[in-house]
Amino acid sequence: MAIQSPTREEDLVNKLKARFPEAIKSSKIEGKHRITIPFDKDKLLDIAQFMRDELGFDHVKGVAGVDDPTHKKIEVLYFTGSLSKPEIEDLIVILQAELPRDNPTIASAVSVWESSHFHERETFEMFGVKFQGHPDLRKLLTLDNWEGPPPMLKDIKFPEMGQR
Amino acid sequence: MITNPDQTKPPAPSIAITAAKEPSTLDVSVGPQHPGSGHMRILIRVDGDYIVSVDPDIGYVHRGCEKIAEYRTAVSNVPHLERPCIIDAIHLNWGYVLPIEELQGVVVPPRGQYISTIAAEMNRIMSHLYWLAINAGVFSGHTTIFMYAFGDRDLFIELAEMLTGARLTYSFLPPGGPRRDLPAGFQNRLLKLLDYFERRLVEYDRIFFSNPLVIARAKGVGTLKREEAIKLGMTGPVLRGSGVKYDVRKVEPYGAYADLDFEIPTFEEGDSYARFLVRFEEMKQSIKIIRQALEKMPKGPIARKAPLIIPEGEAIGRVESSRGELTYMVKGDNSDKPSRVKIMNGSFRSLIAFPYLLRNVHVADMPIIYGSLDYWPLEADR
Repeated sequence: MAIQSPTREEDLVNKLKARFPEAIKSSKIEGKHRITIPFDKDKLLDIAQFMRDELGFDHVKGVAGVDDPTHKKIEVLYFTGSLSKPEIEDLIVILQAELPRDNPTIASAVSVWESSHFHERETFEMFGVKFQGHPDLRKLLTLDNWEGPPPMLKDIKFPEMGQR
Repeated sequence: MITNPDQTKPPAPSIAITAAKEPSTLDVSVGPQHPGSGHMRILIRVDGDYIVSVDPDIGYVHRGCEKIAEYRTAVSNVPHLERPCIIDAIHLNWGYVLPIEELQGVVVPPRGQYISTIAAEMNRIMSHLYWLAINAGVFSGHTTIFMYAFGDRDLFIELAEMLTGARLTYSFLPPGGPRRDLPAGFQNRLLKLLDYFERRLVEYDRIFFSNPLVIARAKGVGTLKREEAIKLGMTGPVLRGSGVKYDVRKVEPYGAYADLDFEIPTFEEGDSYARFLVRFEEMKQSIKIIRQALEKMPKGPIARKAPLIIPEGEAIGRVESSRGELTYMVKGDNSDKPSRVKIMNGSFRSLIAFPYLLRNVHVADMPIIYGSLDYWPLEADR
């Protein structure tokens, strides 16, 4: 039986798993262009450094927070891609970290991916995720006199907008 | 005092986190103003006539689009999520619908894909004409191109109205495919308009893009080098003006783009003028795309019936909007409302470039650099 050679996506995932056997346990390859990689949140900077320098993922398209009150966690997703390596430029690799909902803290990736600067500021403001080591972690979008919990959390409801 | 401005070093840190202020500097708040696109403010610190530090302060038009989207159904989000950038409504709509169709497993029939592509490219021309009129024309004091481009944009708007029923906020692409087929007589009118517009582009070149005054004003101003553009994650015309050939229509073709033949214009210089030229060339390519799409238009149904619920799971869709790569993440939970919509757009991504583009430039160069970015505050704030 012929051994099937790994696809480009499997190859990338294998490289990451070989380098970080502790931090990356699983991965999900969806379609041709998407890879989701859950990882241990303490290893963000090392993984980011490796992805940028060795694999060529040179920028962040966005940082998203996803609130999940039933499992008491907040997910932080880094959408990374490559502009300098044509062979992987069609990929979006999503780094997925799970943070506890009562104290969501993760290292800031700004020192590796400068493009994540404003995205992390937005996630800090909207989900209350503290990015340690971010050079300028301030409010960005809401009014100066806005007070209260981060507005994108699920338990902040706006009944005047309808049922949720 | 700055006597020898250095535009190659990394920019100074933002004003808010700089502890001590040099006695020769002055902090100026540019805005909150409405520079033809929505309210925004840039805090700048000037030394003489040079900008030494920049702090973009946004959020004046923040409406919580992502939160509101969680309260609305998959279909009623279509008109809602195209609001952040109404001059580019088809792209904002299409980017949102792609992940929903992926989750629902709905495949839009070929004819629907072609009609969407035509609408999207018409929208690209309209958006670039708006940019040419306001952000390039008015900001550089060139009022003739403002009149020319705005007048010609209206001809495209009329045809968009004929196709979709609305001038700007089309809501043309609900999940499943476009709402309408091409109306009778549309094809001939569009082809006639493209012939006319092609002649007008020659005129635009003569009075604006080859105008020695515009070149003197924009060339070499606000340079973003290739490595910086990549490092900062720029996208769209800003990225292609810095010499990176990256376009979602090529790297991950959607709609009918895989069947169509077109070029990705890039320029190496990375200055404001290069970004001007990228958009100018893109309009020519859009003409080419529309002509081919009309010619190759397949027969058959235009849309499929899509379910009203969003199945559980998350999907990511992206399109190349007029302001660059537009990525949506939609998370469904088997209800008719999305549990999370994340919008990643070109305007928000270009914020990080402000300190780089405005390092050690004259205050008077600010409008032209800002204009060359085609930054849209409402899209960035959401």
